[in-house]
Amino acid sequence: MRQPIVNICLFFFVLQVICIVASLLYPNDFRYVSQTNIGLLLRAIPVLGIISLGVGVLMITGEYDLSVGSVYTLAGYSIALLFGMGLPVWLAVFATLAIAAAIGVTNGLITVKFAIPSFIATMGAMLVVRGVVRWLSEGRTVSFKPDETFSDLLTGSFYGIEAPFIWFIALALLTGLLVHKSKLGNHFYLVGGHEKTAIAVGINSHRVKVIAFALASLAAAIAGILSITRVGTATPAQGIGLELKAIAVCVIGGLFLSGGRGTVLGIVVGACLMYMVEDVLLLLRAPGFYLDVFVGAILVVAVILNTWLTRKAGK
Amino acid sequence: MTIPSSTPLLALKGISKQYGHVQALSGVDFQINRNEIVGLLGDNGAGKSTLVRIMSGVEFPDSGQVFRDGQPATIKSRKDSEKLGIETIYQDSALVGSASIMRNFFAGRELTKGLGLLDTHKMNAIVMDILVNMVRISGINSPDILVEALSGGQRQAVAIARAVYFKTAMLLLDEPTSALSVRETAKLLEHLAELKREGVSAVFITHNLYHAYESCDRFTILSRGQVIGSLAKAETSVRELNDLIVKY
Repeated sequence: MRQPIVNICLFFFVLQVICIVASLLYPNDFRYVSQTNIGLLLRAIPVLGIISLGVGVLMITGEYDLSVGSVYTLAGYSIALLFGMGLPVWLAVFATLAIAAAIGVTNGLITVKFAIPSFIATMGAMLVVRGVVRWLSEGRTVSFKPDETFSDLLTGSFYGIEAPFIWFIALALLTGLLVHKSKLGNHFYLVGGHEKTAIAVGINSHRVKVIAFALASLAAAIAGILSITRVGTATPAQGIGLELKAIAVCVIGGLFLSGGRGTVLGIVVGACLMYMVEDVLLLLRAPGFYLDVFVGAILVVAVILNTWLTRKAGK
Repeated sequence: MTIPSSTPLLALKGISKQYGHVQALSGVDFQINRNEIVGLLGDNGAGKSTLVRIMSGVEFPDSGQVFRDGQPATIKSRKDSEKLGIETIYQDSALVGSASIMRNFFAGRELTKGLGLLDTHKMNAIVMDILVNMVRISGINSPDILVEALSGGQRQAVAIARAVYFKTAMLLLDEPTSALSVRETAKLLEHLAELKREGVSAVFITHNLYHAYESCDRFTILSRGQVIGSLAKAETSVRELNDLIVKY
C-alpha cells in the first residue's frame, strides 16, 4: 500500500512546479529559484530532516521520543565542552554519540521494562536532559571552533551542494536500507504493526524497540553536531519544539502514530515540504504567525487524507 | 533410532498452572499423535487457551512434563516450541495487517543475503509458489498485498501456508473459525484435511462442536482446568460431546 507516499510526493511536486513557475514569472518579487534561497533550503532541511529520520524509525515501531530536542542541544554542548577540554574532535564526536545512544537505550528500557507509554518516559527524559544542559551551560552559550578539515566535511559544499544536505541524503539512504531492506527493519514494522503477533512469531520486541530508541537519540545527536559545527555556537534553549516538529514531519510524510506503516522517502519529502512552506511564506513576506497556521493545517489535512486512504485500501 | 508410530508426537503429563488464586490447569494430560487432528474442546474458561500458550512457549507450567517423540523436552520460549515443530495460529493475531503477505510469511524467519539484508526476490518467489500451488488461495496475485486487504479466510490460508512451508509437525489453531463466514469455515476445514495429508498433525481449539466433529479424529474435553474426557471420533457423537461439556 503506497497510497500516502504517492500523495505526498505528488503534492510536493505540484508545489515545486508552482513555486518555480511563479519565481520565473516574478523573478524580483519571488526569489525561489535563486542561489541564496536554494542554499538556504539545503542548509535548513538537514537538521530537522535527520532528527525526523530517527523519530520516524521509532514511530514505525509504534513509539515516540519527545526527548530528541533536548538530546539535540545536549549533543552541541557535549561536543563543544569535550573539544574545549582538549579532546581530539573525532573522539568528542564519538563520546557525544555514545552519550546519545545511552540516553536512547535508557528511554527504551524504561518504556519496555516498566510497560509505560513512551510519551511519558521520553517526556521525563526531555526535561531531565534539558535540565542537564542548563546545568552544564550555566545558562551561557557555548562556541565550537574545530579545525577546517572537520568543519568542511560537515558543513562545506561539494560540487556546489551543501554538505549537510549530502549527509542528510546519505543518512536517509542508510535508513532506507535498514528499514526497508533488512531483517531488523522488517521487525520494526511487525512490532509496530501488531506487537502480540510479532512476539508470537518469536521476535524479541523489547530488543527491537530499544534499538529504535537508540537510533532516534543518535539521529538527534548527529543533527546537534551538524548544527553547532555550522553555526559555531549553541544556546541552552535551542531545539525546543523540535521533537513535535519531527513528529509532524513524519506524519505529513505518511507515517502513523500507531506504528507499522510509512516509508523513509515519506520522511524525506515531509521534511522538505515543511521547510518549503516556511521558505515560501518568508519569500512572500508573510507575518510569522502564518507559518504556524499553515503547518498546523497541513498536518491535520495530511493525517486525515492518509487515514482515509489507508482505510479505503484496507477494505 | 526409529520411533514407533504409536509414540505420540507430543505428550504433556500432569500439567498444572496457577494464576494468582485461579487454578487454570490442574494435572492435565494431553497428547498429539502422528497424522491426527485433535479437537480441544471445552467451555469458556476451561483452560484451552492456557494449554495452547504452554505448548507454544508463551507461558510456562508450574509443574508437569513434556515429551516430544517420547523424549523429555522443555518449552520455555517461542524458539523452543519452534524447534519442536509447533506452530500456533491465534484467533486474532496470526498475522500483522499493516504488513505484506510476504513479510508476514517470513516474519521472524526472514531469508537474508548476509549482513542482515533481506533476500526479497527469493522470498517473493517462494510465497507465490506456495500460495498458488499448495494452498491454492484464490484472488491473491502478488506477495506485496497487505494482509489487512485479505478476507478472514485468506488470512488463515496464508498462516496455514506458512506452517506447511516451514515443515511444522503440529499446528495449534486457537478458535480459527470464530471470525470466519460459513463459506470460509468450510474452506478452512478443507485446508485442515489437506494438511493432514501433508503429514501435519493439528490441534483444533474451538467451542463449535459441529466444526470439531467434522474435522477431528479425536477429542479431548477440558472443564475447569481438568481433562474430563478423551474420545475417538468413532466412539462418540456431537450430542455426547455436547452433553459432556454442559454437564460438568
